[in-house]
Amino acid sequence: MKGIDVFRYSFSAIKLRKLRAALTTLGVIVGIAAIVALLSITQGLQATLTGQLNQGLSANTLIVMPSSGGFGGGGFGGGLGQGASSTGFSLYVNNTAEIATLSPDIEATVAIISRSGYVQTDDFSRVVTFYGVDFERYAQIYPTFRAETGSIPIPPQEDQIVIGTRVNQPGQNGTIFFTPGDAINVSWVNATIIPPVNETYSATVAGVLEKVGGFGIGGPSDTGVYIPIDKVQSFFGTEQCDMIIVTLTNSDNTTITNVSKAIADQFSNQVTVIASTAVLSLLTTVFSTIQLFLGGIAAISLLVAGIGIMNIMIVSLIERTREIGILKALGMKSRSVLAIFLGESVIIGLIGATVGIGLGWGLAVIVAQVLGSGAFSPGVSGNTSGAFAITPLLTPEVLLGALAFGVGVSIIFALYPAWRASKLKPVDALRYE
Amino acid sequence: MSVQNVPVVEALNVKKTYMLGKVPVEALRGVNLRVEQGDFVSILGPSGSGKSTLLNLIGALDKPTSGTLRIDGVDIGKLNDNQLANLRIHIGFVFQFFNLIPRLNARDNVELPMSISNIGKAERKKRAIELLETVGLKERMNHKPAELSGGQQQRVAIARALANNPKFLLLDEPTGNVDSKTASDVLGLIQKLNKEQHVSIIMVTHDEKLAHQANRIVKVFDGEISADMVS
Ligand SMILES: Nc1ncnc2c1ncn2[C@@H]1O[C@H](COP(=O)(O)OP(=O)(O)OP(=O)(O)O)[C@@H](O)[C@H]1O
Ligand SMILES: [Mg+2]
Repeated sequence: MKGIDVFRYSFSAIKLRKLRAALTTLGVIVGIAAIVALLSITQGLQATLTGQLNQGLSANTLIVMPSSGGFGGGGFGGGLGQGASSTGFSLYVNNTAEIATLSPDIEATVAIISRSGYVQTDDFSRVVTFYGVDFERYAQIYPTFRAETGSIPIPPQEDQIVIGTRVNQPGQNGTIFFTPGDAINVSWVNATIIPPVNETYSATVAGVLEKVGGFGIGGPSDTGVYIPIDKVQSFFGTEQCDMIIVTLTNSDNTTITNVSKAIADQFSNQVTVIASTAVLSLLTTVFSTIQLFLGGIAAISLLVAGIGIMNIMIVSLIERTREIGILKALGMKSRSVLAIFLGESVIIGLIGATVGIGLGWGLAVIVAQVLGSGAFSPGVSGNTSGAFAITPLLTPEVLLGALAFGVGVSIIFALYPAWRASKLKPVDALRYE
Repeated sequence: MSVQNVPVVEALNVKKTYMLGKVPVEALRGVNLRVEQGDFVSILGPSGSGKSTLLNLIGALDKPTSGTLRIDGVDIGKLNDNQLANLRIHIGFVFQFFNLIPRLNARDNVELPMSISNIGKAERKKRAIELLETVGLKERMNHKPAELSGGQQQRVAIARALANNPKFLLLDEPTGNVDSKTASDVLGLIQKLNKEQHVSIIMVTHDEKLAHQANRIVKVFDGEISADMVS
């Protein structure tokens, strides 16, 4: 029997039981839609985060932090920890010079001190993260550390600061609070003495940064307030820094490995050296796990659909025993009977997977819109609102994978009923009432 | 042609035993039968005598428990499932209960054996219409079995059995489920096929009168052939 005729025959059998076929297909649709929706949302999120990280972390940049500081506590955008690890080890601002001599592949180094605090004027008050950096070196390393209004003062006056665009324009709606030259109070709560005291000094806004978008570890942030490193040290009363950014002359893997090791050795392995490649691969690992987990849950619903298919096929097999007997008596081979039954489930699987992919994608778009409704521009958003504009991503892998999985599950669960149908003996099948 | 000498059916001491649980039921107890090309044989016998069992074996739907059964010179006991299926394509079988596929219309039912034997769409459509015309049902070709009378369904079944130009036609009580007027119509059709197209006919019946329309009568009793005579 020709393939096309097998297909026609399968289709005529499905058409006979439209409602039943529709319900069976629905099971596949739900399973595939769940898989596609979850995967395209998480992949979209991953792409967004990776893109933002790539902006903030260039491949030839290393970040040196005290070991237990890690990513914990401060997190990506907020203030990083206190700069001291639990073992008592600390990085100091002047360690930059020491690091710079470790390898000829090192291009530049810059220390960063970060603290939480707030800035205020008569009609403005906002919690921010202060970053103490050497403006000149920082601007060299990060091209995004560039003023949109005003300028980055090099060298800066003691009281000059630079603010991120969202500090100046928190609503991102055109209402700006500062123009260069404005006075601003910089405050923090000094908890190193008891009782804690509020310490404040009066600064001048020298410049407002261009929109950075995204975020990176160490890189300029739209919500950051940048203070000259000397001032920060005296104001916060510390020589310790939270991280040291090291840029390399090239981004070869061997360079990254060698320099990372040299730095770690220099500080007796009490520092963590993070390469952007490592961060990205960590991110990839985390997302793979998330996807595996979510995809697995969704896959279970597809398995349930598969059991539904098997159930329907067995019912159909029993109902059509006599028909199978007739087909065999007319000379149909067992493998054609098998193909007819599998054909039915392939049709169900194909329709289910196709509709499911469409539905899943639609769902992902809706969910992304709901999640991203707090953000203002696609792909890029601040990190204070907690909302991300996710652009769901449907990769060809997910698309084809979902299609193959939907059809595959349908086939696998139809195998047993189809096999049983093909093994029926014509005489027995014909006697069946 | 030497093929002329090969009988279409040759049964040598064919036995068929069914197992009903652990109890063996001897449906055929050693049947010897020879049917030549162009024969019209009636198989006559009481209910339960083994007529259908014999016909199923001749139709290659089942294999004998012992003995040799040659169809067109081929020992079916030695064939595997695929070879049996190929053999069935060239045997026209008309069942007692028509056994049409309910969801297919008359034409599609007649086309079915041809699609099984890989005949192209256009050709099988043409032939199906011709066959339905032969059995006088061309106007009803788009009707489903449920929309046809018993006699009409039986004629569709005959058209279907003829689809792949079988050497012989097997009919299991072809008139058992139709009235006597329809029965004689159907029989007329069978006789015409036998005379004009030299299709060998083996027809199971328990109607004496009908059996005598054939040119040979084989009587089956209790799983054995009790008489084999010219009508
Ligand atoms: N698949 C089977 N399993 C068990 N016993 C069977 C089977 N098929 C037939 N038999 C038995 O074999 C015997 C012959 O049956 P068969 O159907 O050949 O009779 P028949 O001559 O065609 O009768 P009828 O005129 O009623 O159709 C019967 O006793 C029947 O019960
Ligand atoms: Mg019978």
